Amino acid sequence: MSLRSQLLKGILDGCVLAVIEKEPVYGYELSKKLQEFGLSDVSEGTIYPVLLRLQKNGLIRGEMQPSESGPNRKYYHLTEEGKASLDMIASEWQQIVEPVHTLFKGRNLQ
Amino acid sequence: MKAKQLIEENNKKREQLTPENEKYYSDMLIYIRLQLTLSEQQSEEVLMEMLDHLLDGQNEGKSARDIFGDDPKGYADEIIQNLPKEQKRSVIPFIMGIVLNLLSWMLMIRGVVIPIASQLNKEDVSSSVYLYPTLLTFAVIIGSVAFGVWYIFRIIKQSLFNEKASEKKDMVKAGVFGAVAMGLVIAVTMFMPEFGPSFHFSWWASLLTGGVLWLVVFLFKKFEVWFK
Repeated sequence: MSLRSQLLKGILDGCVLAVIEKEPVYGYELSKKLQEFGLSDVSEGTIYPVLLRLQKNGLIRGEMQPSESGPNRKYYHLTEEGKASLDMIASEWQQIVEPVHTLFKGRNLQ
Repeated sequence: MKAKQLIEENNKKREQLTPENEKYYSDMLIYIRLQLTLSEQQSEEVLMEMLDHLLDGQNEGKSARDIFGDDPKGYADEIIQNLPKEQKRSVIPFIMGIVLNLLSWMLMIRGVVIPIASQLNKEDVSSSVYLYPTLLTFAVIIGSVAFGVWYIFRIIKQSLFNEKASEKKDMVKAGVFGAVAMGLVIAVTMFMPEFGPSFHFSWWASLLTGGVLWLVVFLFKKFEVWFK
């Protein structure tokens, strides 16, 4: 596994929660949006085990609804617990990103 | 949507897959459905999501391998690991239902066979029931059914995600098991000595008990469905 995908694996739950917080999405939309945000390393199928785990832990809730294109799709909504968890992940992330960013400052990044 | 509806819809939608994608997806589908301790509803929901995703991807020229990766078994294991377990409550009635159903059919068959055999033999066939031998025979039947289910599941599991799997060989394996189990049950009923306490159980009482039991199991299943 590349370093980038390892780093991504740790924060993927947070990314998925953040996309769902903006608006309810179904699986295919979610993978499209993650890629639009630049997380192209997330292979499409990866999201389903993540969605199942988040659902099992009560952070998101799935609901069958008709989609824009017509057929029923399972749309995911953020729960209250999910919101709290996302806040926590975001603040933890902040505490890592800032020092790491300072440490790496001035290096020649390509 | 209920699991049963999802299964029907899944069957219809799968027809739109290309042969290659169909093989890849169906292996995962069977593998996940074989996990009997998982919530059926949740399993069918995620299977439907994966199928919808695959169909959308297929329209954009992507293959199942592009979407779910090169290791379908590993991927399916990850799905299984994250699916919630079904509460034991619904597993026990399921097994009880099978055992009672089997018992009801045995009672009804006995009720039909005794008068017919008596007619053919021109003399009365004994309608006494020896408690211990009957219980032993029943245990052997239940045991071979349970073993058969386990064995056939194993054959199916081994054939999944396997390019070299041979359907013919698997059929022979299942057939041999069926013959051996049948032979075992017949041998046990033929050679079981009569011992222990016995009681008289006439053919019509047997038929009646079997019929009532069957009806109870049948109604209970309907009843349970209504409450779900």
